[in-house]
Amino acid sequence: MKAFLVGGSTSGVGKTTVTLALFLAAALGGCAPAPAPAPAGPPARIVSLAPSITEVVYALGAGERLVGVCAQCDYPAAVASVPRVGGYLAPSVEVTLARRPDLVIAAPSPGNREAVRAIERAGVRVLVVHDRTLADLWASVRAVAGALGTPAAGERLVADVTARLGEVRARVADLPPRRVLVIVGHRPLVAVGRGTLQDELLTMAGGVNVAADAGQVWPTLTLELVVARAPEVIVDASMGSEAGARELFAGLTTVPAVQNGRVVMLADETFLRAGPRVPEAAAALARAIHPEAFAG
Amino acid sequence: MSVRPPHLTAGRLATATAVLACLLAATLVATSLVGPVHVSLVRALAGPESTDAVILFRTRLPRVLLGAVVGGSLAAAGAALQALLGNPLACPHLLGISGGAAVAGVLALVAGADAVSPVVPLAAFAGALGAIAIVALGARSGGRTTPHAVLLVGVVFNALAAAALMLVNSLASYTQAQGVLFWIMGSLSTQSYGLIAGAALYSLVGLAWLGLHAQDLNLLAAGEEGAQQLGVEVERTRRAVFLAAALLVGAAVSVSGMIGFVGLIVPHLLRLVLGPDQRLLLPASFLGGAIFLAWADTLARTVLGPVELPVGVVTALTGGPFFLYLLRRDLRRGLV
Repeated sequence: MKAFLVGGSTSGVGKTTVTLALFLAAALGGCAPAPAPAPAGPPARIVSLAPSITEVVYALGAGERLVGVCAQCDYPAAVASVPRVGGYLAPSVEVTLARRPDLVIAAPSPGNREAVRAIERAGVRVLVVHDRTLADLWASVRAVAGALGTPAAGERLVADVTARLGEVRARVADLPPRRVLVIVGHRPLVAVGRGTLQDELLTMAGGVNVAADAGQVWPTLTLELVVARAPEVIVDASMGSEAGARELFAGLTTVPAVQNGRVVMLADETFLRAGPRVPEAAAALARAIHPEAFAG
Repeated sequence: MSVRPPHLTAGRLATATAVLACLLAATLVATSLVGPVHVSLVRALAGPESTDAVILFRTRLPRVLLGAVVGGSLAAAGAALQALLGNPLACPHLLGISGGAAVAGVLALVAGADAVSPVVPLAAFAGALGAIAIVALGARSGGRTTPHAVLLVGVVFNALAAAALMLVNSLASYTQAQGVLFWIMGSLSTQSYGLIAGAALYSLVGLAWLGLHAQDLNLLAAGEEGAQQLGVEVERTRRAVFLAAALLVGAAVSVSGMIGFVGLIVPHLLRLVLGPDQRLLLPASFLGGAIFLAWADTLARTVLGPVELPVGVVTALTGGPFFLYLLRRDLRRGLV
C-alpha cells in the first residue's frame, strides 16, 4: 500500500492509470450519439407520447409492439400494463430511451418539443404527427400505419372511421341545425373555435358553432357573448362539476339553452382526442344537440 | 416626492372626495354600457328579462362593481404601504399576503373545487389570513415590528408561495394548469353579487381602519422619533396599518387573483395631485383605484371583440409605461 502511494511501484500506478483512462475512453466513447442504423424491418418496439397516438396504434393492431406510453394514455384497457415514460406535456427523455424503442411517435404539445428533439438527437427514429383537425387525423393514421409497415390497415381504419362518422351525420342530416356553444373551461370560459377537430365534429353533429367567428382557435369568451349569441344547446366538456356549470350560467335566463335546461355535461375526455373514437364523440355531441333523433 | 401642499382643510377633503366619488359613479354607469355587445339602457330598463337587461345587470354590472371594489382596495392598501414603508415603490403584493391567498386558492382549484364555486375565494381568503399571521409573527422581534422586517419577510414569503404555486402547477393536469394561470394573472370574471358584497364589506372595514390611523401615519412618515414625541404609539400604529392593508389586499386577491400595478400607480398619481396627507390620500386612492380598474377591465373585455384579455395585462401595459414616465419626470426634477 505504502509503495503504491509513494510511487515506489511506478509501473503499478502507471498500469492502473492507463487502464482507467482506457476504460473511461471506452465508456465515454460509447455515450456519444451514433446515427441510427437503417431499420431492418418494421419497428418492433414503439413508444407513444400521446393518448390519441396510443389509440391509433392499438386500432391498427400493433398494440403489443408498444413498450412505452405517456402517463395520460388510458384507452384501450390493455394499455394499463404498458410502462409509462412521462407525461404528454413533459415526457421523460431518459425513461423513453431506456425502453430502447425502434420508433417514437409524438404529437406536438406545449412543452414536449425539447424532449422530442433530445430523443431524436440520441439517434432514435421519431415520427411527429399532428392532431388539430380531421385532415390531421387521416394523415396521422396513414403516417403511423406506414411507419409500422401496415399501410393497408391504415386505409381500412380511415375508411371505418369515416363510415361511422357518416352514420352520425346521416342521423341528423334532415334536422335543422341548432346553435351550439361547446366549452372546455369554466374560468376562464374557453370555447371551441373554428379550425379545431371539435368544431368539425360539432358541425357534423348538426350544430352551428356560435363561437366560430371569435377569431381564435380556443377563444376565451366574455360571458355577455354567451347571452348575445343565445345558443340553443351548451355542451360542457370542461370536466368541471355540473353545479359549477349551473352557477356559471345562472341568471342568463334569455339564453335558450339555459331556459330549456339544455346544458349538457360531457363526462368523457374522448371528446378532445383526435383518435379512432371521434365517431363516439360526434355521436355524443349529436345526442346532446338533437336528442329527438336518438329517442326510442 | 412632491411640493408641500397647502394644509388640509375639511373643505378641501370634502371637495376632492366628492369630485372623485362623482367620477366613480360616472365610471360605473359608463363602463356598464361599454362592451363587445351593443346594449341599450332604455331596452334594459323597459324589460327586466330582455337580453339587454340580462347582459347589463347579470354579466356586466357584477364585473364593474367587482373591479371597483378590487381596484379601490389595492390602491388604498398601496397608499398606506408606501407611507408605512417609506418607499414609493411599495406595492400591495409585496406583503406576501397575495402569495398566501394565491396558494390557498390554487390548492382548492386543484383539489377539485369548480373554478366558479365560492369555495375558491373562501379558501383564498383563509390563505390570506394565514399569510397575515405568518408575516406579522415572522417580522416581529422583541415586541417590535420594523417596516424593514415586514418587507423582508413578505418578500421571502412571496418567493416561497411562488415556488409552491409552480410545484402545484407542474403536478396538475393541463386544463387545471390553465385555470390556475388565469387566476394568478388576475380576473374579474363575473362573480355572484353575494361574493362581491362580502368583498366590499371586508374592504370597507379595512379602509375605515386605515382611516382611523391616517393622521398617525402622516406623523410616522415624517420620522419615527418625531412621531413618538408627538404621542404616536409607533408599534401599535405600524401593526394596525399593516393588518388593515393586509385585510384589503386579502379581500381583493381572494376574489380576483393578483392584479398588478393598481396599488403602485394610483396612489402615486394622486399624491402628485393631492399631496401626501393620508387623510385625503387614502379615500382618494380607494376611489381612484376603483375608477382605474373599472376602465382597465372594460378595455380588457372589449378591445379584442368577443375574446377577453386578462385584466392584469391591461393594467401592466397602461401602468408600466406611465410609471416610467412619472419616474423619469421626477428624476429630471431631482425629486428622486
